[in-house]
Amino acid sequence: MKRLLLILMPLMLLACSHEETELPLYQRYAPRTDLTVAQVKGFQIGDTLKTDVVLLVADDSAAWAELKAEFDIRTSEGVTSWMGDIDEPARRVKRSVRPAWRAMAVHADRTVAFYRIDIEEQRQALLDYQMKTIENKQ
Amino acid sequence: MDEKHFEELWEQEERQGLQRRLQQEYPAWQQRRRVRRTALASVAVVLVAGFSIFNFHFSTPKSYDSVACNRSGIAEGHWAAEASRILTIETL
Repeated sequence: MKRLLLILMPLMLLACSHEETELPLYQRYAPRTDLTVAQVKGFQIGDTLKTDVVLLVADDSAAWAELKAEFDIRTSEGVTSWMGDIDEPARRVKRSVRPAWRAMAVHADRTVAFYRIDIEEQRQALLDYQMKTIENKQ
Repeated sequence: MDEKHFEELWEQEERQGLQRRLQQEYPAWQQRRRVRRTALASVAVVLVAGFSIFNFHFSTPKSYDSVACNRSGIAEGHWAAEASRILTIETL
């Protein structure tokens, strides 16, 4: 009986556990008290493709102004997007550079979202994801 | 009381009498039997609980593997929904 429990318990713990590794970008901003920071690992962007996402949400207008300055966001409405360096997302890089962050700053929500791009297929899948959402809405 | 009823009571008493005798003569074996039955019941409970947790984790279709947030009290699904919504905002 003890043997059975010894075999079953680790198996169940294994089944219930899941990967909780924190992304460096998340780790960098998580201690900030003026931001709500989240990471979504393995965000499904296609039938077989996934990516990691980091979201930074400014709690107030002062924090948003600071975040905008930090990421050199000069516009004040709509959505500002750019391809950012994987280690320094504020630094703009060419569309072909890999790995990179596809960053989107939404002024109305005081949010910056970063989608990790490791391969061209992921960039394409993000575009397809957007197109599919629009088609579904129409 | 009729003959059939008496027979039933007799057999019942015979079985219970036998159990009482076993309990008196082999207390260690009875204890062992009780432990085994408790252990089996515990394993059954653990299996049912494990299956429920496993089912919850793996059968619910999710659009992500895991979520972390520096603030508590925000549902996991909220952030996946946000990641999805922001992609839509840019295009529209």
